[in-house]
Amino acid sequence: MSAGDRNLALRAARGDAGAFSALVQEHSGLVYRVSLRVLGARDAQDASQEVWIRVWRNIKNFRGDSAFTTWLYRITMNTCLSVRQKESRRDERHYDGEVPFLAEPAGGDADPETSALNSERREEMEAALGYIRPDHRAALVLRHMEGLSYAEIAEVLDVPDGTAKGWVSRGRAAMLVALSKENGGRKTDGAAP
Amino acid sequence: MMPTAEQERWEVLERIGAYAAGELEGEEAREAERLIFERADYRRLAESYARMLVMLNTLGNEPVEAPEVVISFAVRRAYVSAFMRGAEVFLGSLGRSYLDAFVYYLGLRPKTARESYGGGI
Repeated sequence: MSAGDRNLALRAARGDAGAFSALVQEHSGLVYRVSLRVLGARDAQDASQEVWIRVWRNIKNFRGDSAFTTWLYRITMNTCLSVRQKESRRDERHYDGEVPFLAEPAGGDADPETSALNSERREEMEAALGYIRPDHRAALVLRHMEGLSYAEIAEVLDVPDGTAKGWVSRGRAAMLVALSKENGGRKTDGAAP
Repeated sequence: MMPTAEQERWEVLERIGAYAAGELEGEEAREAERLIFERADYRRLAESYARMLVMLNTLGNEPVEAPEVVISFAVRRAYVSAFMRGAEVFLGSLGRSYLDAFVYYLGLRPKTARESYGGGI
């Protein structure tokens, strides 16, 4: 972990509001970004504020065994999942008819990085994320958007490694199914030669 | 309970997703490759996964800044809380000192060696 973060966290644990303020400035982007991906724009701001209240209240329990960011991811995910608790029992393991797929973007895939995310695609992605069960969505976001390893995901979500892997796998499949539906509606509109 | 055929279809969906994400090795990877080679719709599925993973990664790498209101709320709250804690400690110790002095004044507590001014350590 970063020695700077650890030092700031230890000072904040002793009640140093200045050190806490430095942590907020440094990591507010992480908290808001993850809240946005998991909850959507409507709830992200309130959730982020709640996360920082919980961090301040619990920072004396931070022992420095893991990175400060891992601990912060954990509080952020717990907060987001508690907001979405009622949705957590939905079963998403089904799709209708054909194997789902995404239409190629106009102009092909010559440069996937640049062609990947026009504003239409971005809206589809955000809508599709909303269809995934919250715990699977959390695992998917941590793996494919935040780039965490399965061991880190397991630690953040407080589940065994195998469960973390299973949640990512289901979230990934559910995302594709949802995205192909989102994409399908618009693809039909724009597919005529 | 989920019908077996549907469960199997879902398992294939997840397996090809894991292959597209580069998470399968050895026999599992070869099995996924065989599926993709044999069926055009699975090939298209693998390509769709690859495209989706690029989009997720791209979206994940975009910088997102927290609204200023979130930052200022968190910082303000911490300063107020720290001030209140400090005030509580100060008032608590002040009150205890007054109480100690009052108890001593009334002669309700005998002097201990540590409190005496003569031969303490």
